[in-house]
Amino acid sequence: MKHLLRRRFTTMTAVDAIDLSIEPGEALAYVGPNGAGKSTTIKLLTGIVEPTGGEVRVGGIVPHRDRQANARQIGVLFGQRTQLWWDLPVRESLALLRDMYDISPTDYQRQLDRFDEVLDLGALLPVVTRKLSLGQRMRADLACALLHQPKIVYLDEPTIGLDIAVKDRVRDFLRQLRAEGTTIMLTTHDLADIEGTCERIVIIDDGKIIYDGGLAEVKDRYARERRVHLQLGTPITAADLAARFPAAAVTPGEAHGEFTISFDKSLLTAGAVLTGVAQLAEVVEVRIDEPAIEDVVRRVYAGELNITPGPADAAGAHPPSASPTSAHPAGTHAASARAAYAAGAADARAAGVPGAEDVTGAAGDVDPAEEASR
Amino acid sequence: MKVYLAIARVTARSVLAYRGAYALGIAGSCFQLLATTALWTALLAGGASIGGFDLPEMKAYLLVGFATGLIGTLVGDWVLANRIRDGQVALDLVKPIDTQKVFFAQNCGGLGLEIVFIAVVSGVFVLLAGPMPGPADGWLFAASLAFVLPIRFGITFLTTMLVFWTENHHGVVWARDGVAAVLSGAIVPLAMMPGWLQSAAAVLPFAGLTSTPALIYLGKAPNPGLLIAIQAGWAVALWYLARFAFRGASRQITIHGG
Amino acid sequence: MTAALLRDLRLYRRCLGAVIRGIMEYVADFWILIGAGIVTQSLGLVFLGVVFAKVPTLAGWTFPEMVLIYSLFGIVAGVLPIFADGIWNLGRLIHEGRFDYLLTRPYSPLLQVLSRSMGFNGVGDTLASLAMFGWAVAHVDVAWTPGTVLVGLVLLASAIALRLALLVIGNSAAFWVRSPFVFAITVLRVGELGRYPIGIYGLGIRLLLTTALPFAFTAFYPAAWLLGRGGQAWLGLGTPLVAALAWLAALKIFNLGLRRYESSGH
Repeated sequence: MKHLLRRRFTTMTAVDAIDLSIEPGEALAYVGPNGAGKSTTIKLLTGIVEPTGGEVRVGGIVPHRDRQANARQIGVLFGQRTQLWWDLPVRESLALLRDMYDISPTDYQRQLDRFDEVLDLGALLPVVTRKLSLGQRMRADLACALLHQPKIVYLDEPTIGLDIAVKDRVRDFLRQLRAEGTTIMLTTHDLADIEGTCERIVIIDDGKIIYDGGLAEVKDRYARERRVHLQLGTPITAADLAARFPAAAVTPGEAHGEFTISFDKSLLTAGAVLTGVAQLAEVVEVRIDEPAIEDVVRRVYAGELNITPGPADAAGAHPPSASPTSAHPAGTHAASARAAYAAGAADARAAGVPGAEDVTGAAGDVDPAEEASR
Repeated sequence: MKVYLAIARVTARSVLAYRGAYALGIAGSCFQLLATTALWTALLAGGASIGGFDLPEMKAYLLVGFATGLIGTLVGDWVLANRIRDGQVALDLVKPIDTQKVFFAQNCGGLGLEIVFIAVVSGVFVLLAGPMPGPADGWLFAASLAFVLPIRFGITFLTTMLVFWTENHHGVVWARDGVAAVLSGAIVPLAMMPGWLQSAAAVLPFAGLTSTPALIYLGKAPNPGLLIAIQAGWAVALWYLARFAFRGASRQITIHGG
Repeated sequence: MTAALLRDLRLYRRCLGAVIRGIMEYVADFWILIGAGIVTQSLGLVFLGVVFAKVPTLAGWTFPEMVLIYSLFGIVAGVLPIFADGIWNLGRLIHEGRFDYLLTRPYSPLLQVLSRSMGFNGVGDTLASLAMFGWAVAHVDVAWTPGTVLVGLVLLASAIALRLALLVIGNSAAFWVRSPFVFAITVLRVGELGRYPIGIYGLGIRLLLTTALPFAFTAFYPAAWLLGRGGQAWLGLGTPLVAALAWLAALKIFNLGLRRYESSGH
């Protein structure tokens, strides 16, 4: 019995002094390592959890206090969990959401037509949720999140585990939404999700915002390295290539004729490399790697990069978040949070965030004798 | 053999880890024991007897019924049911182990904690519910008790096969447990039932779950050797019936592609 | 206020309707569950039938009276799975993190949970119990007037509401512990004592069933009022009040749980 009630988790700060405001129509990429506090921020903004300190406002509403009013203006997708009714066909789940959000029949039909067009939803409508593949499920879940045409959309890992074709489809759709003026907050591990959708990026680590500024700037400043992988048809040595490109590093690949040329894109371009190589040898195959945003984040995390808001941010088109109240008149933000959240949450544990002292007591740890006894 | 012993050991350990939850579940079952005891106490007050049972005997009958009702139930059949339902069982089939033996080993693994619970509840029951007779013949009773686990396992494993055809395990469990409760004598001693039901119960395996051990405990069985032989016969028969059924059922899933 | 209430009801009906359409895809399950319900409810009848073949009364109660109490309990317990079985999903929703979504929709989370599934076993329970109840009513001595019928129906509705409140309380344990089922099931097992006249129990159990877990009000007290016996027959009229108090407690506990809620995982 003691076992049943034992306190297990300790309090950790999942989000600490996040200070963030998002303008209407803005598309924001919210990235950071696992357990950095991304999901917790979204839960704060959706009203799922209440901040232990600070203030959260979305379109003038305090989410956790007025959850249902907030619900009407937001759409949420947690990529790793479905909101579809498990045993029902997709059509029924959507119809239930239509009723809950009081969507008129004409609006509903228009949305379905639209989802059919961009997500090929029509084919999924008669399928029961548990028989959907991951990609199909994600498409249906996107439809659920956007059915009521929310002003603000939170997407937590909307492309996780999807194959390329579905990912592209989802990204196209995000760009469309963006073009229509929907406010988007997107967390992801995949830089390609952000490309063309978000122009602002916020990097969070250890519950704190460590960078807030333009996506182009962060890439310019911290993700300048490019790698060109080559398969050459003419015998040539790494030294020959290195002599041709003094500003680049050349490493031979495993197979004969394979080379990787790494360079800073401000010093050299991929085009110049290819032209140069073509003069020396026959190029059979080419692949160009851009660093993923998580590489940047990881390097920040490992202390290899020290991000400070530099001139690029100050001059950039996107105001640094600074203080929402001073930078913008109160109430004009789509969403703003100056909040902290401390809890025995799994996020915090996954992050391995140190500094767990205060025991609040949380979930016990019993497992099911459940069905056995029911 | 070694692998099944290991499975039993692992199960015993994991069951132990959730002892708190199980204990709470058992506490719930104790209320059932309490209700039936109260009913019989009201019925048999003042030295009355029904169907040849007086109050102390009836209390002993209920306690044995509680104990046998606990044996082989801690490790639920839903483990197997879920494995069948989500198709995992197809993976088991390609392993060099026998699914039936694995689940029997798991049931054996739960036995230790079951015995602890039975001992605790029995102790408290004897203290609170007052005088009742001890076992008429300890050895015969123990022998009869030993067959409860294999018989219950056979019935459970056999009925769980139905999950190959229906998604709904709960319904199967409820129906099976209901039928077993009546025909095993757990609801009322079989001797009080109408004649036709008694004869049906005599040839079915369920009596071996409750009635046989309880009657042997009370020394009310005219031919305990025969009753134990019937138990043994059912234990073996159910094992092979279940084996046969499982082979047929799993062939079904492999045909359907799992 | 009324408009909001009507909307809640309409949405509830829609959710339940969708769930029923989903279940009807599995006809075999439907019949298995109904059969299981009938078997389960008949168990006690087997006991009572066998016993009353040997004795005329049990603690002063006749066979039809016992069947009346027993079957009333069965009706109350059987109706709930039909329209509020979703409460048993609460634990799973919370621990799989899907409860998050319920909080992002403009509809009461509790109503969303309750309407999330349907137990057809309740149909079997209710049918079997209604049959027993009908037989019992024909064999007990009750002077039926329109007033008795009306009050009887109010008591029945209150008893159903009361049991649901107790289930909500039991399952709300999910907000605090990882295995909510055992708590709710233990509550139910205690409740099973309410199938019989509570006079057969000791004082402690009688108090438990009347106050902390007032399952005696889900069948015994209302039946005792109808039969005009059992010592405190008037207590049966208190069922609506007890139900209201239980709902206050249930809502309080559910909301405390909501506040306590931290979603797991990412």
